[in-house]
Formats: sequence, structure tokens, C-alpha cells
Amino acid sequence: MNLLVFTKRVPATQEEELRIVDDGRRVDLSKVPFKINDWDNYAVEAAIRIAESAGGAVTAISMGDGESDEVLRRAIAMGAKDGFLVRMESAIEDPMARATIAYNFLRKESVPFDAIFTGVQSEDDQFASVGGILAAKLGLPYASMVVGIDAFEQDHAIIRRELEGGLQERVRILLPCVLAIQSGINEPRYVSIMGIRKASKVERRVFGADAYQEGSRTMIDLVRWVYPPKKGGASMLEGDLEAVGKGILGILREKGVYQ
Amino acid sequence: MSYTLVVAEVRRGLFEERNLDTLGLAHLLGKEIRLLAPAGAPGEGEKFCNAVIKVEASETDFQNPLTMVRVLEKVIEGGGRPGAILFTSSSSGIELASYAAGVLDLPLITDVSGFDMERAVFLKSYYSDKIFGEFRPGEGTFAVTVRSGSFKDYATEKGGAASVGTIDGIATDPARTFIEYVEEEKGAIDITKADFLLSVGRGIGSKDEIAGYEELAGLLKAVLSGSRPVIDKMWLPKPRQVGTSGKTVKPKVYLAMGISGAFQHIAGMKDSDCIIAVNKDPEAPIFQYAHFGFVGDANKLRDKLKDIAKG
Repeated sequence: MNLLVFTKRVPATQEEELRIVDDGRRVDLSKVPFKINDWDNYAVEAAIRIAESAGGAVTAISMGDGESDEVLRRAIAMGAKDGFLVRMESAIEDPMARATIAYNFLRKESVPFDAIFTGVQSEDDQFASVGGILAAKLGLPYASMVVGIDAFEQDHAIIRRELEGGLQERVRILLPCVLAIQSGINEPRYVSIMGIRKASKVERRVFGADAYQEGSRTMIDLVRWVYPPKKGGASMLEGDLEAVGKGILGILREKGVYQ
Repeated sequence: MSYTLVVAEVRRGLFEERNLDTLGLAHLLGKEIRLLAPAGAPGEGEKFCNAVIKVEASETDFQNPLTMVRVLEKVIEGGGRPGAILFTSSSSGIELASYAAGVLDLPLITDVSGFDMERAVFLKSYYSDKIFGEFRPGEGTFAVTVRSGSFKDYATEKGGAASVGTIDGIATDPARTFIEYVEEEKGAIDITKADFLLSVGRGIGSKDEIAGYEELAGLLKAVLSGSRPVIDKMWLPKPRQVGTSGKTVKPKVYLAMGISGAFQHIAGMKDSDCIIAVNKDPEAPIFQYAHFGFVGDANKLRDKLKDIAKG
């Protein structure tokens, strides 16, 4: 079985202060560290587990600049057979354009597959749509928010999709298909620096994205970046830990939840 | 005459409340509103639109992306192309919207939480709500998914649906079939019943820190809960999860430690009486929703709170 998994290198913005520059045209990410997209980590693990139990091989694919080789090496260290980098110098905001390039790449290079895995969304743009658009273009069935894979056979899979409020739906889907994997589906294996270094010896093929632009156009215009709309905002507690701690206990007493 | 098509979300026979957000944005778009819903769906959304299109299909076929694209093709065949197709920003709404956008070749903006009428731009979150992008869709029909809670106040009564159309002949697609709904297992403790929740997030750093929070919860007589990353990493069991995919809670006090406040988390706790947030990052979105905040290390404050509580 041939399993493809898309993996993306994204800025780790959780604890970073982000600045909008160039009159709202750009978000300055120059000082932000990059890492594997959290959701893709779960997707890589899900694909590798299936290859290990059902037999087959996983190929990791990343669309991004040369630095994205890092997430391919990481996937190989986790157990992927090889990696493809579809190299593009600038980030594309439009999920339609990204999915079209992915589609053209798979078709033009005749990449064989039985299933394609993606993360539900990437942490940076949160569009959560490239997998769905790609599946539609390929004419394949699609399921997103996959939190469980109960069976994976030659011609079909039984999966569970996460809905809201603790509800799931169990779905039967025919292969080949595209599955967007939700975080928490598994416990991704640990990869050591040593493992990633060893993965450099495995071949990663590089393809220029320019060859896959046919029909790829930006369908939505980014007008500008803005900071989040301000709500009321919190009344901030100041002082040393002792004062803040006592302040919080005071609030708890006032609200009647602590004596 | 162009119109806005609103795709209803119906689960287990319930007309989901977040449909009011799609109907609210549809009102702001200012065109005739047609609601697309499975035939057996309850009618509470109908007063907010001008026409209803009922689809002779089960709710699970209706919310299957493979069948939804066929439904949309029939809607367009019968009534022309809408100006916009609006979906909820939920598990199924985004799944349907992205697949439909791919088949019908539509510009797509997901997770829309604001709309500037004068400039005709949609606001969409980036980087866990730290930055927003203003987007304008290209020519022709476009698709949007609408963030829950963003537009419900704009849903406006239209005097009832004047016309009702029906779409039939939609068969189950064998390539993807619904088997059953599955409920998550119940935990021993119901966090929705607690008056005081001590909730922890990714910012506490590691699973080893949980024991210290359990001890603090014991001292303060609070119930321990967590945000999605904590559950995903299995630091706490799933029934303890606060957020759209977990539980919606409204305690008297919600003390959030090391939680930055992804939208899905905020949606599950924003109606708490009193929210106290502790986070290292002064830009963390949770401070926008909290009543009290402290910028600092959650684990250090935890240890200090334990010391004070022990007297």
C-alpha cells in the first residue's frame, strides 16, 4: 500500500509577539522559530502506523521553501520511506492555489497512492481546506477531523470523525481517499536529533513548483493584515507572586468558591 | 437576481445554534436568503430567511461532502448561481465547504468572524487569533464558513419563508457512507457541574506538572480541567476537555493557567461568571475574554498558591 502524507513547516507563534509591517502587507516572522505543523505530526504518525500494520510505505510531501526539507527528514526519522519537496519560495495564502499545485504535482509526476493523509489544518493560516479541495480535484472521497481509524483494508477504511460536544460519527470510506487527521488521534513517536540526522542519508527529491502552476490562481485577495479586534480586556494583576497569589485567592473568596 | 445560500447544519435532529451566525452574516450581505436544509429538519431557522430549499435526504447524507456537491449542483441548476454560499465553521461545515469549493471551483474563506460592509472584506483568523487577515473573494460565487458566535445578533426575521422548493433524487454515495454516531465515554467527574474549574493548557510545559495542579485543585476545592493540547497529549482524560469538541462550561470561576485561548477553547468557557487567566504571553487571546489576568509563569504561581493555601 502506498500512503502519502503532506507535512508543512510553520512558524511557532504561540509565545511570540507578532508585528504587522509594510502598511499591513506583511507579518514579520523573521525572528520566529519554525517547526512541524502539529496536526501534520499526527498525520505522519497515523500513516506510518497503517504502513506498519497493513504493509506498505509512506512518502512524505512538503510544499514550501528549501528549509522545509527539515520536516521531510523528520517524517523519514519517524518511519517514512522517502520525501518529496515541492519547492516554492513564497508562502501561498490561498488554499485553492495550494491544493491546485498539489493536484498538478501528483498528476504530472504520476505519484502512485492508495490514500493521502493531511493534518486537519495548519497552525499558521488555519484554513483547514487544502485536503478537501485536493480530494475534490482528484475526484476522491474525503473525510476530515479523523480521530480514529478502526479498520484499514485494501479497498476501504472505517474511520471516526470528530463532531462537536464529544460526538463522533463512524464512516465507511472507499480507497483511494483523502483523510484529514485531527490532533489527538494517536501519540506521535519521539524522534531524536540523531534520528533526524540519520534521515539526511535517505534521498529526498526536490521538484520546482513552477512546473505545477496550471490552473492555479489566487481566488481570494488579502487586503491587509490587522490586529485582533479588542474586547473588554482583563484587569491585570500586578506585583510579586505573593501579592498576585493573595489577590487571586481574594477573588475566589469574593466569588464564594473558596473559604 | 442574486441570492445568498445558507447551508443548514443539523445533527441528531437538532438545528444547531451556530446556524444563526450564518443567517446573521447572510442578513449583512443584503441579498435574498435561501436556506438549504434536509427535509426532516426543524423549522426554527426558516423565519430568518426568504425561501427554504428542502432536500429529500437524511441529515447524514445531507452533511456528506460527496452528496452535498450534487445537492448544490441541483440548487444552481434550478435557481441559478448564488452570490455566496455560507456554511457553519464546524467539523462538517468546513468539510463540506472545502469539498464544494474544490468541485465547483469557488473562492473560499474559512473561519470568518467579521465583515466590513462598506469595504466588502471578510475578517479571518491567523496564528491562533493573534493576527487577522482581511480578505476579499474574487469574481463570482464564493464560499465562506462562519465562526460560531460571530454574527448571531444580526440574524433578522424576514417574515417567514415565502416559498419552499424541494430537491430529491439524492442517493447515498457508496464511496462514503455513514455507519453510526458514537458518544464519547463518560468520565467519573462531570466538569460541567463544577462551580470552580482550575483549567490547564499547553503552557504548563509537561505531563509531570499535572500532579502539582491536582494538588492545588484539592487545596482550593476546584475541579481540574484542560484545553485541547493537554487532552491530545493525554496529560488529562478526554472528559476533562473544555472547548467546542469537549464540554461547554459556565462555572462561577474559571481559573485558566497556561492556556493561550484558541477560539475553540474560548467558545467553551467564555460565559463563565468570572475568568482569571494566567499566561506568559501578554498577547495571548485569552486576556481579551478574562476578567482578571496575570502575565507570568503558571507553574511558579501554582506553587505560590499552594504555599499560601496551606497557610
